[in-house]
Amino acid sequence: MAWVTWRQHRLQAYAGAALLAALAVAALVTELPIRAAYHSDPLSACLPPSTRTGCDLIVAHFRGEFTARLDALRYLIVLPALVGLLVGAPLVAREYERGTHRLAWSQGVTRGRWLLTKTALLTAATALAGLALAGLATWWRQPFDNLDGRISPRAFDVEGIVVPAYAVAALAFGVLAGVALRRTLPAMSLAVGLFFAARLGVEKLLRPHYLAPAHRTVAGIGPTAPTRDWVLSNSLVDAAGRTISTAREDAAIVHAQHAGIDPQSYLATLGWHRAVTFQPAGRFWTFQAIEAGIFLVLAAAAVLLALRLVRRAPA
Amino acid sequence: MMSPLATEELGKRFRRGWALRECTLTVPEQAIVGLAGPNGAGKSTLLELAVGMLAATEGSLSVLGRDPRRDPAALADVGYVPQGAPLYRSFSVAETLELARRTNARWDRELAHELLASLDSSRRVSALSAGERARLSLALAFGKRPALLLLDEPFAQLDPLAGRDFLRLLMDGVSETGSTVVIASHVVADIERVCDHIVLLSEGRVRLEGNVEELLASHLLLTGARRPLGTIRGVEEIVRERHSGRQSTLLVRTRGGVVDPTWSVDGIELEELLLAYMAPERLPRPVAPEPGRLRWHG
Amino acid sequence: MIEFHLDGRSGVATYVQIVQQVKEALRLGVLDVGDQLPTVREVVADLAINPNTVAKAYRELEREGLVVARQGRGTFIAGTLGTPSLEHHDALRRELERWLDEAERAGLDEESIRALISSTLREAYRRVA
Repeated sequence: MAWVTWRQHRLQAYAGAALLAALAVAALVTELPIRAAYHSDPLSACLPPSTRTGCDLIVAHFRGEFTARLDALRYLIVLPALVGLLVGAPLVAREYERGTHRLAWSQGVTRGRWLLTKTALLTAATALAGLALAGLATWWRQPFDNLDGRISPRAFDVEGIVVPAYAVAALAFGVLAGVALRRTLPAMSLAVGLFFAARLGVEKLLRPHYLAPAHRTVAGIGPTAPTRDWVLSNSLVDAAGRTISTAREDAAIVHAQHAGIDPQSYLATLGWHRAVTFQPAGRFWTFQAIEAGIFLVLAAAAVLLALRLVRRAPA
Repeated sequence: MMSPLATEELGKRFRRGWALRECTLTVPEQAIVGLAGPNGAGKSTLLELAVGMLAATEGSLSVLGRDPRRDPAALADVGYVPQGAPLYRSFSVAETLELARRTNARWDRELAHELLASLDSSRRVSALSAGERARLSLALAFGKRPALLLLDEPFAQLDPLAGRDFLRLLMDGVSETGSTVVIASHVVADIERVCDHIVLLSEGRVRLEGNVEELLASHLLLTGARRPLGTIRGVEEIVRERHSGRQSTLLVRTRGGVVDPTWSVDGIELEELLLAYMAPERLPRPVAPEPGRLRWHG
Repeated sequence: MIEFHLDGRSGVATYVQIVQQVKEALRLGVLDVGDQLPTVREVVADLAINPNTVAKAYRELEREGLVVARQGRGTFIAGTLGTPSLEHHDALRRELERWLDEAERAGLDEESIRALISSTLREAYRRVA
């Protein structure tokens, strides 16, 4: 079966390798100016938790210069979906469409083993490609990670072990969709839909709660010092801990200005302060492990379901 | 000896209705079975049940003594050439054979190559003619040295010449492997040359099953003056009666011949016999028996 | 070596045709004792017929003592067929002529006589086969 899998998917393997190579070249070309700027600007002295004066300007300048590239990097989150689209969905659907499942499944290999072997081998290849991609992104983002940490979604989503896990899950969703729908195009749509539903659902609903978030209070209304944490919320609260609406905050500031008092100290006298809820930067690998685990479980469930369907399915 | 393929009250229902119903049959070992019947009669369904592609709705099925759904290992001994002979179009001939070698525990490379003798193994499947693709599919099936070989409408895409070549190759392979063969075909002329056992399906039911020689020997066409039909000596059953003007033509089943001088007695050809059994209850339209290839449309 | 041919429209069973062709070849001297018959596989690949049919024909010939099968080597001619004597032919022909006269007296014309003969022949040989 290994030979069969290789023979049927070698073009995809070549295309995947070529894509990775192209990305590596692009990463190298776009990263060199970033590193140059990072070292020529005294950024290393401005990394959190440093609060040296002038640092905000230096950091803002550095960010502003590379905003476009940083935004472009976000698109890496769609690459794992491509695996589901181009490798997973056609895996069984194309066999059904062309009738070749009758050929494949009437040889000496049972269709369960056929599906399992192919999926396992493709999963291994996908995971490797995912790791390579994450490695590339991590290297590329290193200057930014030094500033912002890695636990915020911008870094978290494209680095570490979640990337291969996403890709493996996308593959599994594709396989399942192909088995269930038996048509390549609808299976592709379903696979992508499942993948992004899972990704968004997990990121928005689950990830903030993997571990109970930490809290920190900051006096006053001024900007909070830069950190490498993932800030979930940052709001003004009164002494009792109740959130203060922006309308009340504005009213208080206007009131202080009319009275000729410094708003900062006025708010402090009211007992108001900033309450920051965040996930500490140090939890990066824990969170990576949890999220990768979730996607691997989803992938396994999808493959098992596909296996059940394919064993039961009439041809 | 165990029957390579036996069914008992086998039935398969799809959403649109029963495709096969109350199908009971026993294929004798080493027989070459013609599975005849119009399109939609349930032939493919029966074969797909036999290779475990489908699960039966009711009844039971035994392939080489095993249930192909519960015990897929039975498939190692079953060769299957599906309708349309599907192959991977991007594979070369050699790669297609390699695929079979790698996915079958038993693989007779020599036999497969022998059957493909003149086919250049570096050619791509997509560049092969329908006849060549059919040969490749057949060689794949024979390479397993199957105890049971199932062919689903192998002639559908072949011109008569390619069809004859295919049949030659099939028989060549059978004489080498001793496989029991089931050939589904809606064209009787394509299979009557080789099959020694016939299973006639129509509307999902078995209409006729038996050894071809015995069936032909036990059926006679009686032609005579039209008259009220009493019992005719030697006749067990009137399968079909046709009346035109003052003449009656009866297709009868008999044991040991008909002894009645008022009837002129003729033998019947396989194709006509099968046509008669497909619709024994209604009077068939006068058939102009076009010799050779008569196609049924179900 | 003999090459078989088939008449698909003759109504004669395939294995009977093979048996007849071997016998004919023996009568005509095309085959002689010690000659080898084509293997089952050769016949089958040539004529596209059921190997069981060829095997059955060869078994029939063996039963009649005309051929022997040698394990692993093939099937060989082992017997000969005497030419049927012509005096028998004459007697039979005279009898047939008498029968034809009788049929004509009974009012049968040529066509009905032919019909009667062919249906009787068919009946008779069906039973034999």
